[in-house]
Amino acid sequence: MKQTIKTITKKDFSSFVNTIISEGTYDVVGVKPKGDHYVYDTLDIAAELRLNHDVTILPPKKYFLPQYEQLLKFSLEKPFEQKETLEATPRIIIGVHPYDIIALQQSDLYYLDQQKDDYYKKRRDNTIIIGADIQTVSERSFAKSMNTNVTDTGFDLLLTDIGSNYAITIGSEKGNKLLDKYATTKTATDVEIKKIKTVRDAVAKKYKQKVNLDKKDWPSLLVANYNHAIWEERSDFCMECSSCTMVCPTCFCYDIKDEVSLTLKDGKRIRTWDGCMLKDFTKVGSGEVFRDEVKERYRHRFFRKGNYLPARYGFVACVGCGRCGIACLPNIADPCDLINELAHFEREEDTGRYFIKEKTEMLEKGIIHVSRSATIKKMKACNELDTLFEIELDDKKPLGHKPGQFVEVSVFGYGEAPFGISTPPGTSPMFEIMVRRIGNVTKKLLSMQPGDKVGIRGPLGNGFDVKSLEGKNLLFTSGGTGMVPMRSLINYVLDKKYRGKFKDVIILYGAKRPKEITFMDDVEQWKKGGNVQCELTVDKCEPNECWGGCTGLITTLFPKIQTSKLDSKNTIAVVIGPPVMYRFVIKCLQTLGIPDNNIYVSLERRMKCGVGKCGHCQINGIYCCKEGPVFNYAQLKNLPEAFE
Amino acid sequence: MKQKPRVAVFDFADCEGCELEIADLEEEILELIDLVDIVSFREVMKEHSDSYDIAIVEGSVMRPMDEKRLRSIRSKAKILVALGACATMGGINKIRNQWMPEEVKKDVYGDADLKGNELFDVFKTKAVNEVVPVDYYVHGCPIDRDEFKMVITSIALGKKPEIPRYPVCVECKKNENICQFEVGRFCLGPITRAGCKAICPTHNSPCEGCRGLIKKAETDCVKEVLERYKLSYEDIRRRCTMYNYGREECSVDE
Repeated sequence: MKQTIKTITKKDFSSFVNTIISEGTYDVVGVKPKGDHYVYDTLDIAAELRLNHDVTILPPKKYFLPQYEQLLKFSLEKPFEQKETLEATPRIIIGVHPYDIIALQQSDLYYLDQQKDDYYKKRRDNTIIIGADIQTVSERSFAKSMNTNVTDTGFDLLLTDIGSNYAITIGSEKGNKLLDKYATTKTATDVEIKKIKTVRDAVAKKYKQKVNLDKKDWPSLLVANYNHAIWEERSDFCMECSSCTMVCPTCFCYDIKDEVSLTLKDGKRIRTWDGCMLKDFTKVGSGEVFRDEVKERYRHRFFRKGNYLPARYGFVACVGCGRCGIACLPNIADPCDLINELAHFEREEDTGRYFIKEKTEMLEKGIIHVSRSATIKKMKACNELDTLFEIELDDKKPLGHKPGQFVEVSVFGYGEAPFGISTPPGTSPMFEIMVRRIGNVTKKLLSMQPGDKVGIRGPLGNGFDVKSLEGKNLLFTSGGTGMVPMRSLINYVLDKKYRGKFKDVIILYGAKRPKEITFMDDVEQWKKGGNVQCELTVDKCEPNECWGGCTGLITTLFPKIQTSKLDSKNTIAVVIGPPVMYRFVIKCLQTLGIPDNNIYVSLERRMKCGVGKCGHCQINGIYCCKEGPVFNYAQLKNLPEAFE
Repeated sequence: MKQKPRVAVFDFADCEGCELEIADLEEEILELIDLVDIVSFREVMKEHSDSYDIAIVEGSVMRPMDEKRLRSIRSKAKILVALGACATMGGINKIRNQWMPEEVKKDVYGDADLKGNELFDVFKTKAVNEVVPVDYYVHGCPIDRDEFKMVITSIALGKKPEIPRYPVCVECKKNENICQFEVGRFCLGPITRAGCKAICPTHNSPCEGCRGLIKKAETDCVKEVLERYKLSYEDIRRRCTMYNYGREECSVDE
């Protein structure tokens, strides 16, 4: 499509900016100097604006995903009162370089995919982007070699300095209208249009940094070098400060926390930038940290940019702005350096892809991060540690979940945490979760009473495809709290209505101690059922504890399986338990001759947002909250981080 | 109505600046006293009571008499909050620990006869948690008022406050500051616990590490950076002496 190009004198452009500022409809943001650097900031007058900047310290991302953003206001006094703060000031951002425009287009794909982020969208809709062609090349930028130094799309207007005038490329109707309303322009002559190209070509020659590998080849280069020594060699110098992700225009991860006013009457739910280079990024309630080593986090950052997001969205999530290179004190963050160094080495063997292609759907029906009101109906202690909560959605609708799915439970002022659903699907608006005192949310939940309100988001995650279990023998192995989601599946399978669809059922269940066994009533019921073998074990039993059963790890139960019953090829095994359990149990299953694609597991990660946005639960290229938590074991071979 | 928790504020060896930060809550102090009953706070009121639930302790412990007083405070309080760097880690007062107490005394008071005067009976500086258990920490020199409010509301709600375990750089970058290293200054931000909103670098002054170190200063990555910016271990050691003398990384529960 041929774009309309106009010209404006520099003086008229200044008046254009000043007119919009004085009219006051828009927050007019532009590039301003800060010391020897530049930042985006609100303009008081046009004279503050610089268009010959090299690069700004932070990208314009801060206007769409602010460093600190209020998602909700809530009351701590009323039983359940929340108000989402979907507000966005109409804004014009002037001086956005092409690489940053391209980064915004990437974040559009990320935030506005099937699961759209309403907060981001509102800001995006209310913002007009006036781009500017690069005049001064930043020392560390390698945008030319990333093809991000120029762009034809993604802006409403784009300025090119062609001498005494600016050429203005009109990119949208919104931009066109703004120009018509406030500016005096002329149609660009052919000579002027040619000048744009001349100017761009001249600037393109000034790049000192160049990545020597076409970006379309980044994914395969990274895949081939997943286990390369470079990750450790370079990350030895990493300070783990996450400056690289903070200044990056394509780092989208965030954290969510509740803040409470000093009166304790109300509070707000805050979203703030988080960084995958920080150690606590993946930490789950039980204290487990995934990607514990710096080299793993360091590798993750590059793989996310050069492999995981390209596989998902088709773009390399690096636009060559060079900001991370500037920000990184030990100078190890720059993708240009890394890719060039890696491209030198002979490629190691291709160890597979780090991504599972799954269909994604809209997970949150309402506004993202806004929960539904629900009431605690019953609380029943299951053992010394665990309490079963019966919860009813206040709209009296059934949760509509599948076994293996989870919900995010909110207690305003304390936060939000994921819980596996332990009841089978059904028509009742009631569902159950198990609460063990671990963090702030669980501690608070345990102090609440029936009748108290909580917020519910979900059901989230994929859950089990129960159809695929039909006509099969089923071997369920669970350890510890893994029994919570497993109970949902077992009770579904053993339900009189469906029992006929499945063949023999074997249930193996291990807990650390007798007092940690949950659902003893269910276990008794299961044992009574026909064609069900149910075996329990505890890791350890103190002399004063009452336990007549087996002691030893979960693997000690496998010899008890009545193998005569077990036709391994026609058996599906489901495993849910703590991270350490999987490797050992899967080995036992393989010994039994169960093929890998007949094994399903459910994994635990830090599901913070639950909708595949915040980044905390990533296992290589997948989001455990969205494409999991249930996985086919054969697929997990592509995800080395799954059992690390 | 539930009875409000009774709060007492105490100070040991310190400049009282952190207490001043509380007093400086201004109109919000009304909300604070709505939330808790302040029964003792020498800097701002003359009333005093020995009956309290929460003791907020500012300052370091320098003498046996301090230790005794702190133990007595701890015995009366259900919850003890260490307020500010002097209390949380000894802070500036620990600079003195480079020398023996007797040397310091001689240096300051010369030949004056201090024998038997318990006011001058000093030992090596201790942080509050080196004497009694501490339940909550409000870090910094001085403390950040918002963090103080967050800790107080967390105590009131019975939740664990979220104190960052990541470095000041995170907040500094969010504030869009020019890196102090880039303007030729040596900053402890990359290895210091955040939570101060990077106030020093935001006001163009390098981080001094007042909230404690989250990474040992003597690691390869720090060495590499020091070399890149033509600094020595001696520089970092000197810088760490200001607030972190004799300390390495913060423990997880601080």
